Order: sequence, then structure tokens, then C-alpha cells
Amino acid sequence: MARPASRATPLGVPLGVPLGVPLGVPLAPPHASVIHRWQRGVSVREVPLVTPWFLLFAGFFVVGTAIAAFRLFGGSLASFAAMTDVYAWGVWKTFNVMALTALGSSALAVGLAAWVLGRHRLHSVMRTALVTSFLFYTTALLGLLTDVGRPWNFWNLLLPWRWNTESALWEVALAMPVYCALFLLYENGPMVVEKLWNARSDRVRGWVRTWHPRIRKTYPFVVPFAYVLPIIHQSSLGGLMVLAGHKVHPLWQTDLLPLLYLVQALICGFGSVIVVLMTSCLVWRRPLDVKVLGELANLMSWTTLGWLVLRLGDVVVRGRVGDALAMDAFGVLFLAETAAVAVPALVLRSAHLRETPRALYTMALLACLGGIAYRFIPTTLAYAPGAGSTYFPAVPEIVITLGLVATVVGAFSLVVKRFAVLPAPLESWHHAVEHDSHAHPSHRSDAHGHAVHD
Amino acid sequence: MILLSRRHLLRTVGTGLSTAAVGGAAAVAAAPAALAAPRTAPADAVGMLYDTTKCIGCKACVAECAKVNDLVPDTELSGGLWQMPADLNTQTKNIIKLWADPATGQTSFVKRQCMHCVDPACVSGCPFNALQKGALGIVGWDGARCIGCRYCEVSCPFEIPKFEWKKFNPKIVKCELCRHVLDRDGQPGCTRVCPTGAVVFGRRTDLLADAKARVAAHPGTYHLDHVYGETEAGGTQVLYLSHVPFEKLGLPALPDRSVPTGLRHGGVALKLIALPVVLYGVFLGFFRRNWKVHEEEAARLKAEKGLEEQL
Amino acid sequence: MTYAETGSIGDALLRSGVSRRVLLEFAGKLMVAAPAGLALAAQWSPEAVAEEIAKARRPSVIWLHFQDCTGCTETLLRASKPDLGDLILNLISLDYHETVMAASGKQAEAALRDAMTQNAGKYICVVEGSIPTKDQGIYMKLAGRPALEVLADVAGKAAAVIAIGSCASWGGVPSAGINPTGAVGVDALLKDKPIVNVPGCPPNPYTFLGVVLQYATAGTLPALDAEKRPLFAFDRYIHDHCPRRAHFDAGRFARQFGDEGHRHGYCLYPLGCKGPITHAGCSTRHFNELPEVWPIGIGAPCVGCTERNVAFKIPIFETSAVPAPTPSAQYPEIRPETGTVSAVATGIVGAVVGALAGAAYVASKRFSKVAGDEAVPGAPAGDGGKGGKGV
Repeated sequence: MARPASRATPLGVPLGVPLGVPLGVPLAPPHASVIHRWQRGVSVREVPLVTPWFLLFAGFFVVGTAIAAFRLFGGSLASFAAMTDVYAWGVWKTFNVMALTALGSSALAVGLAAWVLGRHRLHSVMRTALVTSFLFYTTALLGLLTDVGRPWNFWNLLLPWRWNTESALWEVALAMPVYCALFLLYENGPMVVEKLWNARSDRVRGWVRTWHPRIRKTYPFVVPFAYVLPIIHQSSLGGLMVLAGHKVHPLWQTDLLPLLYLVQALICGFGSVIVVLMTSCLVWRRPLDVKVLGELANLMSWTTLGWLVLRLGDVVVRGRVGDALAMDAFGVLFLAETAAVAVPALVLRSAHLRETPRALYTMALLACLGGIAYRFIPTTLAYAPGAGSTYFPAVPEIVITLGLVATVVGAFSLVVKRFAVLPAPLESWHHAVEHDSHAHPSHRSDAHGHAVHD
Repeated sequence: MILLSRRHLLRTVGTGLSTAAVGGAAAVAAAPAALAAPRTAPADAVGMLYDTTKCIGCKACVAECAKVNDLVPDTELSGGLWQMPADLNTQTKNIIKLWADPATGQTSFVKRQCMHCVDPACVSGCPFNALQKGALGIVGWDGARCIGCRYCEVSCPFEIPKFEWKKFNPKIVKCELCRHVLDRDGQPGCTRVCPTGAVVFGRRTDLLADAKARVAAHPGTYHLDHVYGETEAGGTQVLYLSHVPFEKLGLPALPDRSVPTGLRHGGVALKLIALPVVLYGVFLGFFRRNWKVHEEEAARLKAEKGLEEQL
Repeated sequence: MTYAETGSIGDALLRSGVSRRVLLEFAGKLMVAAPAGLALAAQWSPEAVAEEIAKARRPSVIWLHFQDCTGCTETLLRASKPDLGDLILNLISLDYHETVMAASGKQAEAALRDAMTQNAGKYICVVEGSIPTKDQGIYMKLAGRPALEVLADVAGKAAAVIAIGSCASWGGVPSAGINPTGAVGVDALLKDKPIVNVPGCPPNPYTFLGVVLQYATAGTLPALDAEKRPLFAFDRYIHDHCPRRAHFDAGRFARQFGDEGHRHGYCLYPLGCKGPITHAGCSTRHFNELPEVWPIGIGAPCVGCTERNVAFKIPIFETSAVPAPTPSAQYPEIRPETGTVSAVATGIVGAVVGALAGAAYVASKRFSKVAGDEAVPGAPAGDGGKGGKGV
């Protein structure tokens, strides 16, 4: 077999060392050595589009959207939320934006690992990461839209002379929609094009034949920017709380917040893609691929260890160890959150456990939980401590949040049934092609899965 | 044995390094901004000096503020009888509060309103400059730019800006030193009606000198002989003299470093131009190399199994 | 009896034997009753005011009674001291006044005609009582003529018209409820005469006298508000000058007639006092020249007798709105508590978190504990292309 000319890094040094992350598995071209299960994205065909569970999520979506529409077009925030002047940011900003976009950073995490660090094995899960990222970001932006009090002034985004370039929130307001609407869509484009290519219409296929190569040429130039943007705005999300100054408890308040939030986003990105993949396999009866999952877990684990060094080092350097061990509410919260983040990292250092499905699943869940907790706590639980005021989201707030999360789940299930997203062995692809041609007798495919017209 | 192609190496590293060089140059240019000196008040900055030892709690300032600013007095707690706000709110830009220590019987009034910081956190955080430090250093709000994100509420260390939660077209409400009538009246409503001169209006430099003179003239009267607002959070244009500890009056202990300083490491040019450019260059370099691997893999897939790539 | 010549007030007082001391006393009272807004009273001393009054020509006054109770006349004439009563009768020349004049019948009608012709264009027409307008105004007739006609006739030749009392100002008691007679005030009917309304039920006599004497001494009428009421007496709400205001601000109230608060003289707001919405000067002027003889002073809540939208409209014991609330005597805390926690919301969040945790636990159980085991329950071995139900 021909070997690709450039398999290895320059200088013969394993890839990744410049970034400080040693390899867990020797880098190998996909066609050599291990045969792993996940080779290709295959759409879920065996299950109907609309199922009872889907209806449940769709129901949440409808109710949540209706309430959000009422809020946006005729209501005041007071009627729909329990936010006060002391706790001015409610669950939409602190949970949907701060916390859930961390889960939605899987595009960034897996993308960097696959395309920059050269972990080619991860390409098979790239689409899953992209779809989940897109859905989490879109719902976060919708939540943001419901949350701002004067959304009609968003057109100021188009007036550069009104931008406050010093503001972290401006960065987020500009970068997140651009990232979601341009880059995530772009990155999710190929799976749509793939479906169009198998469409019946000759005109569409002709269109694809003309434009696809041109767009494809831009891919290596556009996608790196799709990693720069989230790096900027995920760190800006951390920067947001820096401005809250003494109102954030000293265990969390630090000038390092942007960096910590960014790295935590990477961790949650890996964690969420692991959880999504494994849950999808469970639900739609697909085999796992412990090699791929193990690699993701390994990357997550090393990133977390780096994060822990930064986090704990920061607490020590700022002289807050006493607070951490104080055994008051905040000390205990800090310890719990750190444990939730550290335990998966340490457990997943074991190569054996990294390939054990149950350990993978529980540790990834815990990592996501810990990551969300870290990003969420400085905005709420550790915010304005001792102010004598309380905040707990009101029922409409919760319903809208649940609606947004349900949208992610429901939309995800729709997308994986219609597009080739979830990874599966190669044989599944062929089965899917067969299944497809049986379902549409007039729509015949050749052995390669391409539609054939007489 | 891995074959190392010098051409590949040079090309990849070269791409990365050249963009890094460009970015680095920009970073060097931006460096002076990164180490910028702390901001100071404008020369004509105006403010107020409030002295708790002179305040009698008559609340004429509260009543007058509502009048001058066309605010409907907040009578919710009193069932319509009195202007009785529990705190600063969207109908109350200025308030008098009372602190009392039941054990010692010591009391103090405190007047709370916007502090008009020298380096305001709210101004730094507002995405579209709806809150701006304008003429005379007064921090004012512009409704045409505000998106209602409430970041100003989150960032203000004194918890001053108030948001009209109950309105469909909500505003941010806070003291603006009556700038809309400053030309006509020469001073804000509260200082104009104060019967004892507990709160006075003037240039910050003059007020600071006056405050220090008072401290010097009455040793042991003022808590810690300290003028609150001289350096707190980078300095505020509203200054306080108190005979009781400031924290008791709700004025938090703040470091001298202004709140936005924590985000100014590196400066905007570094954060928004140099860093992205450098990162992009680095990513691009590695990406293109892995893209070649991917292309070869895709070609192989097509040739052997007749399958298209999946990006 | 007509007074053919009026002459100066000073002369009239001399002739009647009213002492200068009484005039000085009256001047002093007028200054207190009109501290601002009345040019006559804005002199340096009671002596100066007295001199201004004495110099002035005694104004000729034609006093008409329509739908009235004569209370406004009483308020003017029932001074607590007889001297003062004499004085008042000499300050103005009551050329026609049905209550005090000796004449009646045809003599009275003649007196009216004479007074009108002798002082045409110069007399002040004082109107007491409202004028019925329904059914061509037959509900009030004077010597067979409806009040509408009498008013038009007498006021038409007057220099100025003073509507004394709420009835003449805007309809008063006869206009209450369904207003069966269509009673209206003077200014609803007269459009081209200077009118001064002095509402009240009854109004304070010093307010009326201030207006008349101002006209007598300087020929001008005092500054009026939008309802033609003299500003020197009607520019403030009772609430804004009430001696019990400190009790209101401090929240000390009389809640029932005769209770502790009532006996201590606390604020009568809960008993329906209309002070916050009533313009009048009763709190400073009082009645009968005795201190604290005014409704609130004796513990009766103000009923808003001067205001057309209050008196005989808003029930006496219904609390009034406070149009311009001012700070109370209480102070807010340094750090008030805000925020509510909804039990339902907590429940929902708890349920959702519990459900997710449960689902996570169940899901994790279904994964294998064996390293390297890639099979998933329900999936056929080898591939995952066919079969199985799911989401």
C-alpha cells in the first residue's frame, strides 16, 4: 500500500509536544494497524422520524417557544423571570450561554484535535461534534435573544463606530453569532451537500458538482478561523465575570478567568461529545468504538490536568487556600466542583479504564457536570455572596430553558436520522444504501451509494 | 523510518512563523497599550462630597431628585401614601438610608447614588457604549445604544444601575448628576436643596481638598481619617466622609485597582488583532499539513471502496 | 335703604363708631390670612394695611342669593366679636343684601333697581348660591324672574363678579347627585365678566374680604388659578400646609373616631380626609377668629368642600389619593433583601435534575464494565445498520 508522504511531524518529534500534550497512542495512518468500528458517519434509518420521545421534546420546544415569543413580543422580563437588580443575569445567560456553550465547544475541541493535532482517527466523530455544537450554540443564542431587554438595538452590531472593543460582552455578542451562523453552518455544510448529492434532482446534483469543489478548496483556509473565533469568545465569556470584581467570591474571581473558561470549554467539548456519542449508540443500538472514545477521553484527561494546574495554582498564588479549606458553603462548593473535574481526569489516566464503556460514560458525565458547574458557579452561586438577596429562576424561565435543551435533543435526533452524522462501521453504510434503495425503488443507488438514474 | 521532507517542513513552519511574525509585530506595537497607566479623572471632573456628620436625614434630596428628574415617586410599599423606596430603583435615583447599631445606639445616615467612577466598570463592559463617561466625567446612559443586557448591573461594584424589569421598553436608571439641568441650575437637585450642606457639588479636585481639610480640622471625627472614593476602585467622583466604618453604610471595601484593569492585560490590539492573527497562522500551518493527509486518505477511499470523503 | 354715596371706608368707620383698634386687628388678621399673593396685604405692617383700607372708597356690593343656604353670608357676618361684625359691615357697602336689609317686597325690588342704576359699572356683584338651568331655570325665581335672568341683568352691569361659596363657584350642594335642577356656578353662565370664585362651604370670610378690598384699594383683582380662584388662598393643598402633616409622614393616624390616635390629634387620613386633594387655606385661616376652629383642627376629616370633583361626590369616609407623595419618616435599610423563590420552580428543577440523574444512572448501567467491549445492548453484533427501536 502506498504510504502518504507526510505522516509524521517535522523534526521526527511526535505531534503535540509543542503544545505540551503527549500522545497516548502512536499516531498512525487510518488504514494501518487497528481496525476500529467507527469509520464513517451513517444516518439512523431503522427508526421512524417521529417517535413518542420526539413528540415529548417537540412539545417542550413548542411550549418554550410560545412563552419566549410572548416575552419577546409583548411581555416584560419581570413577568417571565425572577431576575432582580442584584441578580441581573438569570438562568438564560448563566446556564444556556455560559454553561451550555461549553458543552457546545465540541466542534472546537474535536476539530483542534483532529485537524491541528493530527488525530485522524477522530474524523469519524467530527460530524457529531459539529452538529451538537451547532445546536447548543443556536439555542444559547435564542436564549440570549429572549433575555436581553432591548433586542431592537442589536442593529448596533452593524455600526462599528458604536462598538466598545474593550468590552468582553461585545466580543461575545459579535463573535458568537458570527461563529454560529457562518462557521458552524459552513462546517456542517458537507453533510448537507452529501445528502444533496444523493438527491433525485439532476439540477441539484449539477449544482453540487459545480460548486462543491470550489467551496471545498476554501476549507483549509476557513476552518482554522472557526477555531480562532471560539477561542476568542469562550475566553471572553470568562472575562465577563472579571468585571464583577469583588462581587464574585475570591475562590473564583481571578484575572485568569478567561483562560480557565477557555480550557474548561475544551474539556466540556470532549466530555459532551463522548456522552452524546455513547448515549446515541445506546439509544439507536450501535456498537461503540472504544479506541476513538478512549482517545477523546485521553485528550480530555490531559487537558483537565493542565486546567487543574492553572486553577489550583491560581488559588494558591492568590493566597486563597484558607478559603478553599474553610468548610463553609463556598469552600465545600469549591472542593466538590474541583473533585467533579479532577476525578474523571485521574480515573481516565488508566488506559484500561479509558476503554471500559461504563467508566468512560460515567467519567465523561462527571466531567461535563464539573465543567458546567465551574462555568456556572461564578455567575450565580458565588456571585454577590452575602448580599441578603436570593434568586431562583421563575417557572417561565425554567420552561424556556427546558424548551431550549429539548430543542437540542429533538433536533439532534432529527438530524441524525436524515443526515450521515453518527459514526458506524463501514458495513452499515452499505446496509443503509441497500435500505435506502429498497425504500425508494425508483431511487436506485450503485454499489458506492450514489444514486443512479436511467 | 519517517521520511522528512524539507520542503514540507519549510513550508509549514514558514507559514506559521511568518504569520506569527506579523502578529508579533502587532503585539509589540500594542505593548504600550498593554502597560497603560491607570486612568485618571478629567481635569474638569465634577462630583459631590457627602459628609455623614452633617446629614440630618431630612430626605429633601430624595424628594427633589424625583422632581428634577421627572420620576414618579415610588409609593408601592406605603400603599400610595409616601415616597418610600426600599432601595435605589427605577423610580429612585437617590436615596437616604439609615444605619443603626442597637447595641451602642450609634447611627448614621448615608446618601446613595451613582458614584461616577473615574474608571467605571459599567462603561468598560457596555457592549455598545450606551453608558459613557461624558462631559465633566459624568456617566450617562444613551437609550439608542442599549440592548438591555444588564452587564452594567453585573459589573458595578456599588450595584447602582437599575433596570426597568416591568416595562416592555426598559431603561437603565441611575443618577446622572442632573446633567440635563446643570447649565440652568449650576448644580444637581440634591445638593441644591440640602439644608445643612451635607452634600455639596463641585470639581472633584476642590471637593477632595475640602474633604481633606475637614479631616485635618477635626481629628478623630472621621473614620480612619479617610476620604472614601479618593482611590477606591480607581477613584470615584462622589466622595464620602463618615464617622462610622464605610462598610456599615454599604460602601464596600475595594482595592485601589479599578475594576476594568483586570481585563486590560494585553490591550485591545493584542487581543483582537495580534493574537487571532498568530493563532490563525499557527492553525493554518498545521491544518494544511493534516489536510494533505486527509486528501490522500480520501483518494484512497475513493479508489479502493468507491466512497466519497466525509468532512 | 340705599346709600346714595359711599365715600371712603375710613369715613364710614368713623361714622359708625368702629374703633381704629378693631380696624388694626382686622388688618393684622388679613395679613395672616393672605401671606402671599394679595397686594393689599403685602405691606410692612398692619398700620400700613389699615391705612390703605381706610383710604379706599367703600365698594358698592350687590349681593344676590340664589340656590343657597345663606351660609356664606353667615360666615361673613358671624364674626366672633361684635366689633368685627360692625367693621365688616362698614368695609363694604351692602347696597342690596336680602338677608340683612330691612326692606322686603316691592321696597326691596326698588332697592335693587336703585343700587344698579346709581353704581352702574362700578359695583361688585356677589353671587351666593347656584343657578338652576333646567326647565328655563324655574326652580329659583326672584320677584317672579328666574335666577338666570336676574344674574344676567345684575352681573351684566357689574364691574366684577365674586362667586362666594361652592354653590356659586361650581354648583355646590344643589348640583350633587343627579342635579335635578341643573344647578351650575356663575362662571358657567357668565363669559365676559371678570369673575372670582371663592369656593368653600362656607369659605373663609377673610378670603372674600381680601378680594373685595383689593379691588376697592387698587382696582385690581388678585392673581387667579385655572378655576378662577385667588391664588393667595387656593394655591396649596390642605395636605401641604396641615399642622398634622408630621403625623402623616410618621405614620401616626387616627383610625376611628374617639380612639387613642384621634384623641392625640393624629392625622385623619384613614378617616377619609380629603386634604391631599383639596385646595384651600383653612389650615391657616381657621374660622370664627378662634384658633384651631376648622374641621381638621377639631378632629373632623376634611371633606373637600371647595373642590367640584371632591365635595358631595367622593364619599366622606373614602380615603383620597395622594397626588405628590413625599418621603415618609421611615428609612430604608442599608442592605434590603430582594428576590423571591418560587416553590413550583424549585419543584420543577428538582424533578428535572432528578430525572436526568436517574436517566444517566440507568444509561450508565447498560454499558459494559469490560474493557474493549464495544457491544451495546440491543445492537446486533458486527454492525448497527438494521433492526431495533429507539428514539
